[in-house]
Amino acid sequence: MLTRRHFRPGFWLVFWREIDWLGRRPFLLAFITIVPIGLMALLTGIFSAGLATRLPIAVLDLDGSDLSRSIIRMVDATPDTAVAVRAGELAEGRGMILSGKVHGLLMLPRNLERDVFAGRRPEVVFFYNTQTLTTGNLTLRGVNAAVPTAAAGIRLSLRTAQGQPIETAQAAIAPIPVQTHALFNPTLNYVYFLLAAILPSLLQIVVVTASAYAVGIDVETRHRLRVLRRLGGGLWPAIAGKVLPYTIVFLLVLGLSDAVLFGILGLPLHGRSWLLVIAGLLFILSCQFIGVLLALLLKPTASAVSIGTLLTSPAFGFMGIGFPRLGMNAFAYGFGAVLPGTWYLTVRIDQTIRGTPLDLSAKPILVLLAFVVGLAGLVAFRLESIRANAARDANITPPAALSEAVS
Amino acid sequence: MSGLLAVFRGEIRRIFTLRPVFSVLIIGSAFYAVFYPQPYLNEALRNVPIAIVDADGTSVSRELARRIDATPDIAVTMVLPDLVSAEREVYARKIFGILVIPKNFERDLLHGRASPIALYADASYFLVYQRVSGGVAAVARSLGAEVETTRLIGIGVDPALASAASDPMQLTALPLFNPQGGYATYVLPGAFVLLLQQILLMGVGLLGTLPGLVPAGNVPDGRPPGPFATLAGKMLAYLLLEAVILPLYLLALPYFYGLPRLGGVVPILIFAVPFVLSVSGLGLVVAAIFGNPLSVQLVLASIGLPFFFLAGFAWPTEVIPDAVHVVSLMVPSTSAINGFTRLAQLGAPLADVRGEFLMLWGLTLFYGGILWILEVRKRKTHEREDLGAGSRPPFPGVSPQSDR
Repeated sequence: MLTRRHFRPGFWLVFWREIDWLGRRPFLLAFITIVPIGLMALLTGIFSAGLATRLPIAVLDLDGSDLSRSIIRMVDATPDTAVAVRAGELAEGRGMILSGKVHGLLMLPRNLERDVFAGRRPEVVFFYNTQTLTTGNLTLRGVNAAVPTAAAGIRLSLRTAQGQPIETAQAAIAPIPVQTHALFNPTLNYVYFLLAAILPSLLQIVVVTASAYAVGIDVETRHRLRVLRRLGGGLWPAIAGKVLPYTIVFLLVLGLSDAVLFGILGLPLHGRSWLLVIAGLLFILSCQFIGVLLALLLKPTASAVSIGTLLTSPAFGFMGIGFPRLGMNAFAYGFGAVLPGTWYLTVRIDQTIRGTPLDLSAKPILVLLAFVVGLAGLVAFRLESIRANAARDANITPPAALSEAVS
Repeated sequence: MSGLLAVFRGEIRRIFTLRPVFSVLIIGSAFYAVFYPQPYLNEALRNVPIAIVDADGTSVSRELARRIDATPDIAVTMVLPDLVSAEREVYARKIFGILVIPKNFERDLLHGRASPIALYADASYFLVYQRVSGGVAAVARSLGAEVETTRLIGIGVDPALASAASDPMQLTALPLFNPQGGYATYVLPGAFVLLLQQILLMGVGLLGTLPGLVPAGNVPDGRPPGPFATLAGKMLAYLLLEAVILPLYLLALPYFYGLPRLGGVVPILIFAVPFVLSVSGLGLVVAAIFGNPLSVQLVLASIGLPFFFLAGFAWPTEVIPDAVHVVSLMVPSTSAINGFTRLAQLGAPLADVRGEFLMLWGLTLFYGGILWILEVRKRKTHEREDLGAGSRPPFPGVSPQSDR
C-alpha cells in the first residue's frame, strides 16, 4: 500500500523495477551481456583472417622435369594453395590426407614433359578432400588456376612452333574467356559472408532463451503476474515495462558487435543504416516476444527455456546462409520463414554488402514488423486468457480466492 | 565397488525418472535426429536461376545459353534486354547471376579472335556463386575447345593433334570421400558429433544440478561412496546411455540419410569412449560452476553454434589464430569432430587420429581431476558440517530460489 502512495503505477514503475531486479540477478545480467559478447569475440577470432589462404597440399612429382617443377612453382604461388610436402608415393600422399596434414594431392605423372610435347595429352591428377567442402573447393580453385596457366604456356609454344603469329595463338587458346565478377563480395571474404551472419544468429538464441527465463519467473507464480499488471496500471504498460529494459541491453550488444564488424573488420555499408537499425529493433523485439510467449504457454520455466533452445539453437542451418534456402525441402523452407533471424539476415545482407534499392528492401522489414505485431497480440491474448481463467476459478471457488487475496 | 555400483544404478534411475533429464537425453536426441538435417537433405543446389542478356542473338550465342540451361547447376529463367534491368532482378533475389553475351560474339569466334563473355554472379551466398561461376565456366570451356578443334581441323591439322593442341595437358580433379560435393554429406557427420556433445552436456549438466543424489540407503554398509566411486559410477552410467545413443547418431542416422561411410565400426566405437568420458566430465564441471539447472540450460544453449566453427570443419584450422585454436582444444568437440569424420567418412585408421584420441583422454583426465578435487572438498565440508561447524551452500549466491 505504501508503494502505491509513493509511485504512480505505469510503464516507468515496471521499467525501473525490472532494472533493479536485473541488477540483483548477476547471472541473468551476465547471460545477456558477457556471454554473447564473449562468444562473439571468440567467433570473430575464428574468422579474423577473412580469407583462407595458403592451404597445405602435397605433391607427388614422378617426372622431375623442368615442366613439372614449373607447375609445382605455379601451384605454390597461387594465393589459395601452398605446396607443403613432397610425397614419395601415392600411398604416402593418401595417408597425409587421411591424417589431416594436407587437403589435397597433386600427382604429376612420369614422362609428363615428354608426352606433352609429343602431343600425347598426359593427365595431371589432383586428389582433393571434399569431405571438408569449403577447404576442398578452395584448394581446387588454386590448382585449377595454376595448372591451366602452365598448360596455356605450352599451347602457346606448340602453336608458335607451328609458325602461327603469337596474337592468333593467344586468342585460340581461350576462345571463350569468361570474365567472372563476384557481385557484392568481390574478394569472397568470409567475414562479410559467414561471420556477419553468425553473430545475429547467436543473439537470436540468447534473446529467445533469456526472455523465456526472465518472464517465466514472473509467470510461475500467478499473483506475481497480477502484481506486475497492477504496477503497470494496465496490460500494455506492464508488458512494455517488463520487456524494454532487455531490448535496450540487447540493442547495445548488437551495436557493439556491429561496431566491430563495420569499424574494425571493414564490413561495407552500401545500404541505409537507418533501415538496419529499425530491422535490428524489430528482430530483437520479435525474438523477445517468442521467448515471452513460450514462458506464458509452457510451465515450468525450464520447459520454456528448453523449447526455446530446441527451436533456436539449430536455426542457423534453416536461415539459408551456408546452404541457401532455395535448395531446401518444403519443411526446412517453411521453418526458415517463421524465424525472425531469416528475415533480419536478409535485411542485413541487403543493406550491408548488396546496397539493395529502397523499394526492394521493404519486404523483409515488413515481415519482421508483422512478427512483432502478431507476437505481441498473441502475448496480450494469452495474458488476458490467464486472467480470465483466474477470475473464473475465483468465482467457482471463493475460499481459494479469499485465501489468495489475504496472502 | 558396491558404492560404485550403487552410484551407477542411482544415476541410471535418475536419467529415466527426472523429467527434464529424460526430455533432453531421450526426447531431445530423437527430435534433433529428425529436425536438424532437414535443410541439407537435398544435398546440392540445383537449377540456380540466372538471366541472360544476349546482345548478339545468333545461333552460337543461343547454343551457349541452351547448354548452360542444360547443366544441372543452372537454369536460365530470364532473357533480359540489358544489364540494368537484370541487376534489379538480382536485387529482388529472383535471379542469382547475369550472363552477358556481347555483340559480335559469334563473328569474333568464327574469325578466330577471342570472344569473351561476362558473368556477374551473386557472391552474397557463396554456394550460389560457386554453382553459377563453375557451371558457366565449364560450358564456356567445352564450347570453346570444340570451336577451336573444328577450326584447327579446318586448316588441315590432324584431328588427334588438333585436340591435343587445344588441351595439351589435362587436369583431372578427383574429389575424394564426398564425390558429389553434397552438402548433407559435408555438414551432417560433423554436426551429429556436435549434437551428441551438446545433448550429453545438457543432460549431464542437469543431472549434476538437479536435487536428488544417490539415496544413502542404497549403500549396504551405510557409508557414502568415496570420490572415485562416485565419479566412476556416474561415468559408467553415461557410457551405458551413450552406448545406445551414439551408435544411433554415428552409424544408424548416416545410413538412414544415405551418407557414405568408409570407416569400420570398431575404431569409431573405440574413439567414442574418451569422447563420452570427456564430454561427461565437462558437463559435470559446468554443473559445478553454475550450480542450478536453469543457468546450465541457458549457458549451454548458446555455445553450440560457436563450437561448430571451432572444429576446423567449416573453416580450415590452418587459418584460425593459434591462441583461439589452443583454447578451442579444451572443448571435446574440436578434436572429436575431426577424429570421427576422419575415421568414419575418410576411413582413416585409428593411428591417423591418435593426436585427437590422446587429446580426448587428456581432457578426460583434466576434467576428471577437477571433479575429483571438488568431490574431496565436498566431503570435507560435509564432515565439518557433521561436526557442527555450520552449513554453507557450496556455491553462495547462485541458488535459484534464494532471491525470489
